[in-house]
Amino acid sequence: MNIDIRHIAKLARLTIEEDRMEKFEKDMADIVAMVEKLPAVENQSLALDPADRMELRRDEIKPSLRREAVLQNAPKTAAGCIVVPKTVD
Amino acid sequence: MNLYQHTARELSRMLREKECSAREILQSVFDRIDACDEKVGAYLTLDREGAMAAAGRVDEKIAAGEEPGPLAGIPVAVKDNICTKGLLTTCASRMLYNFVPPYNATVMEKLETAGCVVPGKVNMDEFAMGSSCETSYFKKTHNPHDLDRVPGGSSGGSAAAVAAGEAVLSLGSDTGGSIRQPASCCGVIGLKPTYGSVSRYGLVAFASSLDQIGPMGRCVEDVAALYSVICGRDPMDATTARREYPDFASLLKGEVKGLRIGVPKEYFGPGVDPEVKDLVHQALRELEAAGATLVELSLPGTDYALSAYYIISSAEASSNLARFDGVKYGFRAESFDGLTDMYEKTRSQGFGDEVKRRIMLGTFVLSSGYYDAYYNKAKLFQKALRNEFSQAFQSCDIIATPTAPGIAFRLGENIGDPLKMYASDVCTVAVNIAGLPGLSVPCGTSQGMPVGLQFIGPRFSEERLFDAAYAFQNLRGGSLCTIPELG
Repeated sequence: MNIDIRHIAKLARLTIEEDRMEKFEKDMADIVAMVEKLPAVENQSLALDPADRMELRRDEIKPSLRREAVLQNAPKTAAGCIVVPKTVD
Repeated sequence: MNLYQHTARELSRMLREKECSAREILQSVFDRIDACDEKVGAYLTLDREGAMAAAGRVDEKIAAGEEPGPLAGIPVAVKDNICTKGLLTTCASRMLYNFVPPYNATVMEKLETAGCVVPGKVNMDEFAMGSSCETSYFKKTHNPHDLDRVPGGSSGGSAAAVAAGEAVLSLGSDTGGSIRQPASCCGVIGLKPTYGSVSRYGLVAFASSLDQIGPMGRCVEDVAALYSVICGRDPMDATTARREYPDFASLLKGEVKGLRIGVPKEYFGPGVDPEVKDLVHQALRELEAAGATLVELSLPGTDYALSAYYIISSAEASSNLARFDGVKYGFRAESFDGLTDMYEKTRSQGFGDEVKRRIMLGTFVLSSGYYDAYYNKAKLFQKALRNEFSQAFQSCDIIATPTAPGIAFRLGENIGDPLKMYASDVCTVAVNIAGLPGLSVPCGTSQGMPVGLQFIGPRFSEERLFDAAYAFQNLRGGSLCTIPELG
């Protein structure tokens, strides 16, 4: 199978350097060839299993992290906000 | 004998009888780390002060005559993808090289309540993607039994730390074998719990429908005790099951009389090293002699589990890892031209090659035109595989297989060939795909390196797995693990 690495990389917001493109293409082709071996499964549906039901917690207002704690890991902050490049002209 | 060499069960008794203090136990573990971690490379971050303060609190409790609990004062190393409040949590990635979580994972809260002491955070494959610890951005971890070999992965640091005596117990995480395979490589005991029995809140997500945190240790009782501490319903993780769990360590009987052990032929195929097969068969014969019945069976879906695993796990990873964009936390590229360029440069510089490959595979199988042929097909296969296991468990109580197809390979041997690396998960991935528990115990050595035997059970059958492993430990003279000298 021919995989358009540049297109997939763009979707994933990744850039692959030109000199490494060949190795990446080969690895991806090998991996996709490996995963393609799956047999078709008949008579199965992907309906949720009632025995596996998930229970969501109640949507209640509770104390959360302080603003400084939330921002402490942000690469760039100013005036209590996260700074990002200009997004709208 | 030094304190670090003891099991948690022995140390707990010694603490109660005031033969030693929690601070002395921790100091012994730090001395061992100082003596040999330069060679092993298990730890990424040490928390000497925090750990010593925690040990001090346990000592005060004991001095005040309070009941300390079975794991109080026991040093537990923690994989670096589990959030620890105020302590670096890097996922062994440049992307999170400076990330200090403002909150604790639920398992960390549970360790704290139990009085466990955390000496530090241990190495892993980047974002838990790998089977050798070699994809870590920061360092290589070496197998304590042969420093030229890998410790396995992705929880290689967790396994190596316990194997080398640099921790008494550890926590790892297992998405496709990441606790069991390194446990096998390093000669320790490791449990991948039933999906939904341990909270994933605060575990940095790789593949959320498969990830599970689990314990590692040097005796079955210790692993059962740590599992008892971390399991349970958590409102912060909607996938945790609402059920009661017993104190697993107190239920161990070591009785296998009448236990039906299924032996699936697909796990003993040509891809598995003949010596590994021999050692597993030998272990099974011992269990049979002790009263267990061996049942030959077939799990034909095994041959496709690896394919389904790489599709499902990579699809979920591509979605989960979309959050690493240089905005809210972690690494951000230094120079860029606009927002999209910032995303692309940050992600391209912040992630290593294996993580990029998985994100790319996941993006591909979810992309327009390919979704049905890959992702949907894999999810349907997952359901069929679950049914296959359920049927198998009608004729047996547990299933036994090798944990890994071979012994730990040499550093650098497989790192250039992703498919060879992926093949080391061939015996473990089906357990994750089916949401089952799997326990790896050492069953002998080949070329001087440990080999693991894997017990697989129905969902929530951990008690049965621990008991079979405990029986095996008794058959082998009460101990399955040895700490190497390391100079």
